Amino acid sequence: MRKIVEFLGTAPFLEGGAEADLVELAQVMRRRTVREGEILWRQGDEAREMLFIAEGGVSVSLHLPGDRVVQMATVDPGEIVGEIALLDGGPNTMSVEATEATTVLALGRADFAALLARPHPWSFALKRRLASLVTSRLRSHLLYLAGSLGDEIGGSPAEEVARTFAELEYCSPPNSKYIQRLATFNAFDPVALWGFLTSGRYARCPSGRTLIAEGAPSTACYLTINGAVEKVLIRGDRRIRVGLAGPGKAFGYESLIDGRPSPVTAITRERALLLVLPRDPFEQLFNGEDAISRVFLDVIQRDVVATLRQTLRPLARQASARPVSPAPPAAPLQPATGAG
Amino acid sequence: MCRVLAYLGEPLPVRNLLFDPDNSLVRQSYSPRMMNTFLNLAGFGMLAWDPTSLEPADPFTYRTTTLPSYDRNLRYLASKLAPTCLVAHVRGVTYSDEAVVTDTNLHPFQFPGARVVLAHNGHLRQFSRMRFALVEHVRPELARGIEGTTDSEWIYALILSQLDDPFGVPETSELAEATTNALRILRSVRAAHGIDTSSPANLCLSTGRAVVFTRFSFDYGWYPPEDEMLETDLPFVSLWYAIGGEYTRRNGDWSMTAGDPPRSLIIASEPLTTDHSTWLEVPEYTLLTAELTPAGLEFDTRDLDV
Repeated sequence: MRKIVEFLGTAPFLEGGAEADLVELAQVMRRRTVREGEILWRQGDEAREMLFIAEGGVSVSLHLPGDRVVQMATVDPGEIVGEIALLDGGPNTMSVEATEATTVLALGRADFAALLARPHPWSFALKRRLASLVTSRLRSHLLYLAGSLGDEIGGSPAEEVARTFAELEYCSPPNSKYIQRLATFNAFDPVALWGFLTSGRYARCPSGRTLIAEGAPSTACYLTINGAVEKVLIRGDRRIRVGLAGPGKAFGYESLIDGRPSPVTAITRERALLLVLPRDPFEQLFNGEDAISRVFLDVIQRDVVATLRQTLRPLARQASARPVSPAPPAAPLQPATGAG
Repeated sequence: MCRVLAYLGEPLPVRNLLFDPDNSLVRQSYSPRMMNTFLNLAGFGMLAWDPTSLEPADPFTYRTTTLPSYDRNLRYLASKLAPTCLVAHVRGVTYSDEAVVTDTNLHPFQFPGARVVLAHNGHLRQFSRMRFALVEHVRPELARGIEGTTDSEWIYALILSQLDDPFGVPETSELAEATTNALRILRSVRAAHGIDTSSPANLCLSTGRAVVFTRFSFDYGWYPPEDEMLETDLPFVSLWYAIGGEYTRRNGDWSMTAGDPPRSLIIASEPLTTDHSTWLEVPEYTLLTAELTPAGLEFDTRDLDV
């Protein structure tokens, strides 16, 4: 037990955890050793656990139509794998195989949920860290997709984004009953939800306007209330749509989470009613530790996970036209976490 | 809400699509995995083209309002038929006394003498307000053929009316253009009547040698506050496809084998297996076309901007 606690204390994902928290966590984790070549789970399997790699290493592979397999990442000691499927309750996104004799510590679905649900500053920190980790993974997949298009970033320049932002038509909040019936929100406490939904301003935007430009910082995070916003990668006259933000879906948050340029361009496909959260209210919500911030972090977390899953679909189409593994080196995956 | 399936390619037993996979079309009638609040119990229909049959240009036709999962005749037929093209549909209707469950409302639609057929997943909101404004866009000989009460049959008549010869076999490109034109007409009629609620129109058209499919919604994401369909439309008007060599069972699992050039294509509202890894999702605002040629299957997807 002592060695497990010491290991957990070195895992980047758990940074900031108190000794007592790590001991409690160690008590619910299961230690397991697997042989080289052993499959820990297959893509599409029901997700039961996430893994901390204690010793050895695993590879993460994406199975594609046409009997193709692409190795997407290797996961080394101290890193985690399998958190995506636990976050959204979906099946494992990729297959995981031991590349050598490997020791893992498994954290089950219920214990993972409990770890994040506590009204404790460390739980908020873990939620923020997960949002950052999944954003990092999303960026890697988007970079890979963009690499398949070649050329330089195309489409609308940052000036058009500034013009769109300046021309937003601000309006009163929408009917609260409508918002609460959206699948994104109907499980949240109504008071905390409304606290989040009144943290920004509402605005109407015509179709065909660029709200976010790839390669430029976001001016705001947006939440679509009505209408639809396309998230696209544009290279010359070619584009890949990597997401469609309909009612209850957010966009523009990646840049505000990690301070890097936006990984996608966002253009209104339909006229839209949007909740606009500029940088300051976004950071207050993201870094807060109250019920309103919990709602906000959950909304962002669900969205980035859903967007990541969606990027795997066009990725499959792109990659299916390419030779089998490994994935091209132009898009190195972030080392801190693995999918699953 | 409904579920629709089209197949184009190598001869394939119908049961491999309707019954055998773990999320087959018939299973989607009583246990759809991507529709939490609706079932599709208002009838089944299929049209199947078999080049070795009598009058191969005419599809084998089967429609019934009984539940397909308990339909022994359908199960027996599905074991004997191996078409190169199939369009099948399980119909879902709102739980309302206004819904009409009857033979004449069953998809796929095929007017007598017509070579193009249509099945639809979706619904045009407030259709009763715009129905008669469509008359001027529909050829009289086709308008007279409308027997049922659905928006889908009107869409069918509207698309046929955009063809040079509504009773001929159009080129795939002409059928795609007619479909796009019909959607433009619907958009303008909706606008003229002030109808701006989200209305999905996932359309499947086929000639037996080609299919044209849309994943499209008018005014995507716009709903009135008390709208009863809000939770239903958003995630559930989905469309997926699997393309490759042949659809077969290996090691107990159904999947599409690799094929270059491709020889077989399945397009369906939901993947036919719980394992989605051999399926790709068709994005919203997409027009998909496929055609059987001597060299294989020609396949294309493009953005649908109407």
